[in-house]
Amino acid sequence: MFRKADELTRRHFMSGAARTYLGVHLLPMLGSTVASAGTEDAAAGKAKHVIYLYMSGGMSHVDTFDPKPKKKEIMGKTEAIPTNVDGLMVGHYLKKTAEVMDKVCVINSMNSTQGAHQQGTYVMQTSYTMRGTIQHPSVGSWILKLAGKIHPELPGYVAIDSPPDHTGGGFFGAKYAAAPIGSPGEGLKDSRLSRGVTEDNFGHRLSLADKLNRQFHGRYPNVDVKAYEDLYREAAALMKSKDLVAFDLKLEPESVRNLYGTGRFAQGCLLARRLVQHGVRFVEVQLGGWDTHFDNFTGVEGRCKEFDQAYAALLTDLEKTGMLKDTLVVVATEFGRSPTIDKIFNDGRGHHPAAFSCLLAGGSVKGGTSYGETDATGSRVKDGLVTVQDFNATIAYGLGLPFDKVEYSPSKRPFKIGDNGTPVKSIFS
Amino acid sequence: MKLFHKLGILLFYLMALPSHAEIPSDVDIADLKKAALQIDQQVAAFYRAKKFDVPKVADDATFMRRAFLVAVGRIPTAEEALDFLEIEDPLKRELLVSYLINSEGYHSHMSNWVFDLMRVTERGNGERTPRVPYRHWVREAMASNMPWDEFTKRLLSSQGDGWDKETGGVGYYTRDLGMPLDNLSNTMRIFLGERMECAQCHDDPFGDTERHDFYQLAAFTHGQGAVGQSFVAPLISEFNTKEKLFSPEYHAIKMLRVGVYELSLAGGGNGRIPLPSDYQYRDGKPGEMVAGKTPFGKMVRTSDRKDEGDGRVKLADWVVNKTEGQFSTVIANRMWKRVMGKGVIEPADEYVEAKDTNHPELVELLSSLMVSLKYDLRAFQQVLLLTKTFQFATNPQASVLEGGDDLHGRKIDRLSAEQIWDSLVTLADGNPDRKPRRSRDERIIVGGRPVLVGKKTMSQLSKEVLALQSEKDVRAYFDKLLEEIKMDDHYQASGATMSMTAKGVGDGSNPMVRASELSSPAPRDHLLYIFGASDREVVDAASKEPNVGQVLSLMNGFVQDNLVGKSSAHLYKCLEGVSSNEEKIRRLYLAILSRPPSSEEMALMMEELKARGDEGCRNMVSALIMSSEFIFLQ
Repeated sequence: MFRKADELTRRHFMSGAARTYLGVHLLPMLGSTVASAGTEDAAAGKAKHVIYLYMSGGMSHVDTFDPKPKKKEIMGKTEAIPTNVDGLMVGHYLKKTAEVMDKVCVINSMNSTQGAHQQGTYVMQTSYTMRGTIQHPSVGSWILKLAGKIHPELPGYVAIDSPPDHTGGGFFGAKYAAAPIGSPGEGLKDSRLSRGVTEDNFGHRLSLADKLNRQFHGRYPNVDVKAYEDLYREAAALMKSKDLVAFDLKLEPESVRNLYGTGRFAQGCLLARRLVQHGVRFVEVQLGGWDTHFDNFTGVEGRCKEFDQAYAALLTDLEKTGMLKDTLVVVATEFGRSPTIDKIFNDGRGHHPAAFSCLLAGGSVKGGTSYGETDATGSRVKDGLVTVQDFNATIAYGLGLPFDKVEYSPSKRPFKIGDNGTPVKSIFS
Repeated sequence: MKLFHKLGILLFYLMALPSHAEIPSDVDIADLKKAALQIDQQVAAFYRAKKFDVPKVADDATFMRRAFLVAVGRIPTAEEALDFLEIEDPLKRELLVSYLINSEGYHSHMSNWVFDLMRVTERGNGERTPRVPYRHWVREAMASNMPWDEFTKRLLSSQGDGWDKETGGVGYYTRDLGMPLDNLSNTMRIFLGERMECAQCHDDPFGDTERHDFYQLAAFTHGQGAVGQSFVAPLISEFNTKEKLFSPEYHAIKMLRVGVYELSLAGGGNGRIPLPSDYQYRDGKPGEMVAGKTPFGKMVRTSDRKDEGDGRVKLADWVVNKTEGQFSTVIANRMWKRVMGKGVIEPADEYVEAKDTNHPELVELLSSLMVSLKYDLRAFQQVLLLTKTFQFATNPQASVLEGGDDLHGRKIDRLSAEQIWDSLVTLADGNPDRKPRRSRDERIIVGGRPVLVGKKTMSQLSKEVLALQSEKDVRAYFDKLLEEIKMDDHYQASGATMSMTAKGVGDGSNPMVRASELSSPAPRDHLLYIFGASDREVVDAASKEPNVGQVLSLMNGFVQDNLVGKSSAHLYKCLEGVSSNEEKIRRLYLAILSRPPSSEEMALMMEELKARGDEGCRNMVSALIMSSEFIFLQ
């Protein structure tokens, strides 16, 4: 009861304020930015949302989704276990994930040219190598650019627990930057009016600030200055949205919360599902700590403890609520880890960009399948090599978006979501 | 009365000067001013060559705000602003610079910079080790203005106890436990502006660095491990098992492993390294020993026949002394970027020779100035702050030089997350530099509970443990320690109290302090994160890109609860005894934007205050903080 009353007041207070003081009509301005042209390929995927789970640090492929059960010297302490799909095996840290593999397509033949974290992450998330002179947009910004917002007031792109240097809009600008969530349990920080501030006063603040900002922008015609001026309007609309409840995990029933678990990443996944449900286009959730140079097996076990239940819950929950067919769930990482075990680092594993694994599920992805293959030791791609550019083009394809559409940077250089990558079409039904 | 007050302030500025004693004795203000003039002459020559007009000098208010934000990372308080603007002294800008550069705020702000550059984190991430003493070592090095060459050498060549103030620089390597090659790539980038990440795995297709070169360099740092590693290894495998999980033995040995051994560093660098098992070129075979050989500058070599054990000392000496000005140029350019907003060489970590830059003479001059000031970063920045170039009015136009700065008036730039946070703290709580620095948490924490409090500190424990010379001694020490821990009341306390006692002191949870005193990196639910503070996993990963979360946080939450809506917030103190609305508006403008309002703004705000009284006043404060002028540096 209380919550509902609260919400009505908030909606009421904002509806007048922004229009009166900013002289703007929020809905038209914040509506879908682009009418997606779509690809002409009838077989293209039909997903509308993306949940992008990023395993930061480099997820060991042989310990997770590309085990080599017969090679003890590669597997070390890791054992391969069967899944609910014949022929697909995973590391034994992934018992719950093993039960949902029928929804997942494992790409075992990922290959990157970048073997250091910063460069590896950058290319994975933007399709381009780092340059000192330009900031390329991340895949989330790209999807938002190509597909547009769904909900007019909620952010189109939300990044949970992700480092800020990869979730800006790059040369697309702040309009395509992620709204950052530091702590999933807290939701979108500071999105509610503080106690003691009336609708009337809030409106006056916005109006005064807007006058000052226009003045300042007049003096400094700088894109970032302009971006802040615009963001206030967006923020004001967001604060009044009835769908702000999308950010509130407390509204989830106990049973659903228990399904995901209590870890930070689990909360992030649950929040991602809520956001998608309310019309957010792209949600990224990071799980860090995969850089297991030192004591790999303890490290991987710890990471999988965070990942396993949450990921399995996310897929199960999305399917149960009927959203899996509309939501492409991606698991990505910057590189794999060396199949050779470093004894001197307490059984650690080094970086391994030559071959690694990523996952796709949901949308029209054919579940219970795998694509590509590494050699017997997991060192090299033997069959069906997928570059990071191919992978990002595949994400676009999975949403039926024109992966080859060229967008220009302010300096008029052409870019594409997957650079010159081509989508792996055969994984979609 | 007024005159007396002003004199007092002037004296206050001057009193700050004696701490110049920390600057090498052969440096005095006259020399610094002379160096500043030389820089201005170079810039003037560049203007002549380009036929640029000489820009106007920024007014006092703009200069003051800029100097505060650049030198101490926060805005001035209303009192500081008023005093500076009212004082009439031709030397006041120079005095302000001295005041700032010698204040606590200077090294707080420097610490943010170096934490980003060095990726200084103190919390364990996932399964990794907490690195509290290293964070403090670096913080103290900034506080004592340790010369950059000495700082570099200590980081690159120290060995021993991570808790010892003499050898705490070992944190530079132990921070990257198990990833010495990545660490080395970062070393080349940070200190010499060389990007060698690619060559870790393959010949760089765009550069001229080959994988073999990289291994020759890696030979210098190869062979790192904990002090006394082999003595403790058997105990670790004995107690770090599923059966022993969460037993006192398990917790105690974990504390020693993570808190003592993994923070220590043995091995001075073998000077040789085997090529990796996936080595793919004809100039070597996997497993073949490669000797150390530096890739440029004055060549330094080591043997491939035996471990020499002093490779890291040799490497440090090469980096600092034998790279033909590259070391001094890179740090001089980094300091220029800090003060002037853009590097003379951009990107700042991709070194190019002076002759290939837009400003060859200036680059040469800055590099040699850095050397003659003996790598005193504070004195160097003081020189830059004293230049006319620093004082020029903001240029709203972008640089006319392709890919570089035209030095033709500062370009506008958003404040860093730390500058925004420290400025908000200043508004909420007054000058944050009156508070002491965060002290080092010396408590021994076993299984989440502090033990032996008042009896033993982590430094003492670390010193004793690392002095042990055999497995037998380690076992005996461990048994005794375990007995003491089991006897400890705190250890016996129930689980409910444990999490409460383990938090608190020195963990950076005090909200109203400088960013440099919070835990590193900033917690994810902190305003610093929303504004793009680096997570300090990679070099210089901070972001200044706008997002909707940032404006939400300036509208509501912390800002509303601690500043705008809180009548006891420091910024409202400047209103004491003031009754006219006009004066209130003037003072609040000074407190927040460091300048008096324009007449147009005065009229706008007068209307607001007249109509809404105190609420109108709060609306104005909120609007000023939401203004772009607040978060952009002019």
